[in-house]
Amino acid sequence: MTTPLVRMQGIHKAFGDVIALQDVHFELMPGEIHGLLGGNGAGKTTLMNILYGLYAADAGDIFVRGQKVTIHSPRDALSHGIGMVHQHFLQVTPFTVAENILLGTLPKLGSTGHLGEATARIRELAHHFGLDVEPDARVEELPVGVRQRVEILKALYRGVKVLILDEPTTNLTPQEVDALFQSLRAMVDEGVSVVFITHKIREVMAVCDRVTVLRDGQNVFTVPKSEAKEEDLVRGMVGEQLDIAHSFLFAGRAANEDAHTFGDVMIDVRDLKVHADNETLAVRGCTFDVRAGEVFGIAGVAGNGQRELVEALMGIRPVAGGKVTLNGMEVKGGETTSLLAQGVAYIPEDRLEDGFLPLASVAHNLILGYHRQPPYARGWLLEWKVIFQEAWRLIKEYKIRTTGPDDLAANLSGGNIQRLMLARAFAHPMRILIAHNPTRGLDIPSTEFVYHKVMEQRNNGTAVLLVSEDLDELLLLSDRIGVLYRGEMVGILEREQFDKYRIGQMMAGTYKKQPTD
Amino acid sequence: MSVATISQSRLPRWLNAVGPYVVAVVVSFAAAGVFIGLMGFNVLRAYETILFTSFRTPNGFIQTLLKFVPLTLQALAFTVPLAAGKFNIGGEGQLIVGGIAAAAVGIVFAGLPGILLLPLVLLASVVAGAIWAGIPGWLLYRFRISEILTTVLLNFVSFQLVNYVAVEIWPDPAAGHPTTVPIGMGGVLPLLIRRPPLHVGFFLAIVVAGLVYFYLTRTVTGYELVATGANPRAAHVYGIDVRKLSVLSLVIGGMLGGLSGGIEVAGLHHRLIEGFQSNYLTLGILTGLIAKGNSAAVPFVAFFLAVLEVGASALQRTMMIPGEMVIIVEALIVLFVLLSDVVRR
Repeated sequence: MTTPLVRMQGIHKAFGDVIALQDVHFELMPGEIHGLLGGNGAGKTTLMNILYGLYAADAGDIFVRGQKVTIHSPRDALSHGIGMVHQHFLQVTPFTVAENILLGTLPKLGSTGHLGEATARIRELAHHFGLDVEPDARVEELPVGVRQRVEILKALYRGVKVLILDEPTTNLTPQEVDALFQSLRAMVDEGVSVVFITHKIREVMAVCDRVTVLRDGQNVFTVPKSEAKEEDLVRGMVGEQLDIAHSFLFAGRAANEDAHTFGDVMIDVRDLKVHADNETLAVRGCTFDVRAGEVFGIAGVAGNGQRELVEALMGIRPVAGGKVTLNGMEVKGGETTSLLAQGVAYIPEDRLEDGFLPLASVAHNLILGYHRQPPYARGWLLEWKVIFQEAWRLIKEYKIRTTGPDDLAANLSGGNIQRLMLARAFAHPMRILIAHNPTRGLDIPSTEFVYHKVMEQRNNGTAVLLVSEDLDELLLLSDRIGVLYRGEMVGILEREQFDKYRIGQMMAGTYKKQPTD
Repeated sequence: MSVATISQSRLPRWLNAVGPYVVAVVVSFAAAGVFIGLMGFNVLRAYETILFTSFRTPNGFIQTLLKFVPLTLQALAFTVPLAAGKFNIGGEGQLIVGGIAAAAVGIVFAGLPGILLLPLVLLASVVAGAIWAGIPGWLLYRFRISEILTTVLLNFVSFQLVNYVAVEIWPDPAAGHPTTVPIGMGGVLPLLIRRPPLHVGFFLAIVVAGLVYFYLTRTVTGYELVATGANPRAAHVYGIDVRKLSVLSLVIGGMLGGLSGGIEVAGLHHRLIEGFQSNYLTLGILTGLIAKGNSAAVPFVAFFLAVLEVGASALQRTMMIPGEMVIIVEALIVLFVLLSDVVRR
């Protein structure tokens, strides 16, 4: 039997009181793509961050090619031939691709003598593995998908034999995902082994040779793909607590939910233009509408104007051109409070930045935006008795883990903060729901919970605008999908026309607009 | 049922909040004791002087209460803007212009009866303080100039202003120091106790502290102010006009700072005296920091610091130990209280 390239044994890791990993084992054989599957909070990334030297394990051993090693830093990891590509890249954006790749490998400060030689080698590597990148291009001008290839090349240039990819398909179009999978195959043929962290079973089945499932920081099982059944993987990820037959994630929308009539137009957006923070146009003439009882999904690679679009609709960012009407009321900028009062619920994209008051109480957080209206306020005074009663109700209903409404909100964990955001949005009767990445960072049961809530609203006649970077989520929930590319709505598809690859082309800007209607 | 759960969860939090203070005070005193001992003084007697001068004689106690008033108001002038995430370092200037306005009204309308003059004097100080803090507020709103800078700089302007008023406009030639003539008797705060004299400013400060607490915790704009301080971006996203609230918080801080000056003039000096601001700005900010910006805790901390301050002057008088020793103790307390947060994290 061959020696594993990497073996991790009995790994323990705790962050404060939270146990992230408990006696976890992991083995990577030479020349395999090993899927590390689990929901959010399962411990996948933590385990690999330990292998890459970003965290120190509390207990456990790491062996590389059968030799016991200690890894204190990414530098140690690289010296053992281990490289990692994170979800968020650390790149010097004004530098070129080649400069970014060379950063940290130059023998001394300021020596750029062998840049030309290196560029040739990068070009060769890129060509060899099908990682299409121009070494002289400046990183800030590249889309996310290409930046990821830069990150992979960075590792390959350093000669890694173990490449760890953390959720690499986030923000890639389906075409880019296919290309990435082909590149991974090419790397394996050259003797590189890959650890592929993901929460998507389909990706595991598509590209991996073996899969290890983690749940709640513990091993569930490891199987070769040939023996892996999709159903087992689902069970392994979620345990017994989820009713899979009625799950949106695994069973999809019920058929009777497709036969459903839509009501009046609730969100009407005509030729909308919105500025980004730097005064350039981020949304450049968008037109669409959302009807009562409809989920309208907006797909697109992050940074194509989604944030600005949503903020303009909520009155947070001024409308620079065109016309937005929500529930019959024109929105130009600054109407947020009255929109919330009229039943426009909002789940912001960045929960920590945009929706959370860390230094205030949980109760303070639960009434944010609704604090001027009854029952929370009477005139200019707050009704704390009512607020506390409501807060207790929401804490229980949404299973927010906290000691009570007067607990400091900074004590909440990420998943609990998202539950708080949901509780706040869903606590009031709504006619319109605007949700931006509502399930980002949530574990599977919580994601499922959000989907049920969204579909329940939709079935009760709420107009839902769902902006998401997760195309699978959009395909699952939406009645129509509009695709944003560079601030323009490049196409709107009905549910019958949903086609991942066509949407992918639109997201990448390579789809030719057909002269419809 | 829910009420019971709330109060249950509050009890350990109380201990949690008070614990670090006790530790900080004990450690600071121990550290100061080492110095006092090294300087060759009797450490226990020094401790006794610092802590008990306030409670040994009626005079000591009244002195403490008189210091408590400007300390509390100055601390609130710092903590209210802080709740909105703004730093008001201009409490001193606001105190001075408040005092100037109070003296001006008290001198110009000296003939008015007390029922009119006293409210006018205090109102003038509040308005003057609001204007003095409103200038940085406007600069912040209009040009996004940091309020830290502008509030500090306006302190220096106020130093010149008090000189001008006391030397050029209403000078008292009999005084050897820049001083104005006294205000009308109707503008003087009534006394609670005649001998030693204690004016009603003590009650006023407590009532104002209560109002500030009520404002921040029970009113809608108070909530918005706290939300702005907790996360201005999120407050903005949820429809709160954070720029207006930043200005409002500074203006309220200015009102409190101005009132502290008005009370000093109407209650203590009955005239404007150059230098009457003492070191209340520093002590007020120390108070606010020890209270960790919590306005509800300010009166208690202010009382404690007033005790230390009165102890400090006694220390200097009776034991010849420099009173600055007490400032060091106070600063150490701030350090240890802030440090306890870091440690617990």
